[in-house]
Amino acid sequence: MIRFVDATKVYSNGVIGLRNLTVRIEKGEFVFIIGASGSGKSTFLKLIMHEEVPTEGEVYVNGYSVHDMVQSEVPYLRRSLGVVFQDFRLLPNRTAYDNVAFAMQIVEATAREIRRQVPLALGLVGLSKKARAYPDQLSGGEQQRIVLARALVNNPAVLIADEPTGNLDPKTSIEIMNLLEEINQRGTTVVVATHEKSIVDTMKKRVITLERGELKSDVQKGSYFDEN
Amino acid sequence: MKIRTMKLLIKEGTNNVIKNKLMSFASIMTVVATLFFLGIILLIAINITSNIEAMKRDLEITVFLNVNATNYQREEVVSFIEAKKEAGVITEYRNETKEQMYQNIKESLNDDSLLEGFSVDNAAESFYIKLADPNNSDEIITEISRFEGVNNNNGIGYGKEELDKLEGILKVFNYIVMAVLVVLMIVSIFLISNTIRLTVFARRHQIEIMKYVGALDSFIRWPFIVEGLLIGFIGAALSFFITSQAYQWLQGVINAILANLKLSTLRIMEFGPVAFRIFIIYSIFGIVIGGIGSLLSVRKHLNV
Repeated sequence: MIRFVDATKVYSNGVIGLRNLTVRIEKGEFVFIIGASGSGKSTFLKLIMHEEVPTEGEVYVNGYSVHDMVQSEVPYLRRSLGVVFQDFRLLPNRTAYDNVAFAMQIVEATAREIRRQVPLALGLVGLSKKARAYPDQLSGGEQQRIVLARALVNNPAVLIADEPTGNLDPKTSIEIMNLLEEINQRGTTVVVATHEKSIVDTMKKRVITLERGELKSDVQKGSYFDEN
Repeated sequence: MKIRTMKLLIKEGTNNVIKNKLMSFASIMTVVATLFFLGIILLIAINITSNIEAMKRDLEITVFLNVNATNYQREEVVSFIEAKKEAGVITEYRNETKEQMYQNIKESLNDDSLLEGFSVDNAAESFYIKLADPNNSDEIITEISRFEGVNNNNGIGYGKEELDKLEGILKVFNYIVMAVLVVLMIVSIFLISNTIRLTVFARRHQIEIMKYVGALDSFIRWPFIVEGLLIGFIGAALSFFITSQAYQWLQGVINAILANLKLSTLRIMEFGPVAFRIFIIYSIFGIVIGGIGSLLSVRKHLNV
């Protein structure tokens, strides 16, 4: 599903993002990527999305070779991924419903598919009743649920979340995490980059720890301070 | 691309124009100005050309016979002209006899003392020939000059050279206009590309989201291109309207002046017959300017 083989990313300004990282995430897994700022979490996610390409080594995602990819293929790689951001990134001038529908219009879904799938996605994140609300009429947690619905509506194989609870209070964070777990149980691979130890500790999932761009540890059912 | 996607992208592009009122307005106005200038130049050129053509049709070849031309030599020339008229090369001709020429000179001088030593015998007979196609003039002149009775020393006159010179000047004028036009087009393209750049900037978050969700490059680009094309086309339509109104007003004024000056050959053309052509030219120019403007901006700033 996701495979990094000796992948190194050096940015043009000389900063090392990742150093010789080899890691493998199977289909259906739930994985936390943790580490301090500058540890390489973001670089890891950026390489998966082909926002950056590795300087050396190989990165495979959903059958695409990210390290060796023509630009015209990138949209198709991204369609196989759902992405959730810390800062939501919703379109402020569109309703919750339209924000989710937008993701389907982009992949040229039919109007019928959109009418069927969008309510399903909104129902999954528990926001059916707020479909007509605009983002600024919703709480942070609700906005992040819309983002989740948007990420899921095209049935991606992998869901990537970059600090999804970074802007949320602890209670809402737990709700979002439960939602991610539910999504994972439906078969979607979930990769979450975070630095919130309480969440990582309670969820007991696989934890990949990065430090200065290198793999520090990779533990099944780990916690934030596992030091195997 | 699917039709529903196309509809969506066109709607997006149209919305951009409306949301971006001020810059859209400014861009549309530069297109209007550029095309208005283009149209005026074009119409001036069309009018000059058509008037030159009309003048050419009115041109006569003047052929003088020798003073001592024999009757036989005269008949040779007449039958040649008649044959050419039969063949449709010559549309009409008239003949001025020695007596008529003498009378004409006498009348124009209005003083018999000046005519001393000049008699009907010294006068020459002449023919005034009109051609169906002025481009045949060289041929006819060469053929007619072979006849013995024809005075080859300044005996043949034709004003075509003067008109050709006029046409030469018109060509130079056209080149200068082209150069000015290119500059104006570049300015328009620059302004449109700037407008689109602002839209791209205003929508950078949306573009980013589209990229993450897996939008094809064409899907991201098209609304901006539609925006540029639309600005170009609106500018063209508006400019066409202004041009037609201005032209028709000017046509009335100038034709009245020409009529007063008794310059019957010269006249300003009607707008109707060229309207469609002008509209097509405007539309093409507008769309090309708009399209290039937005493409430049999208390529440079979208980076997808």
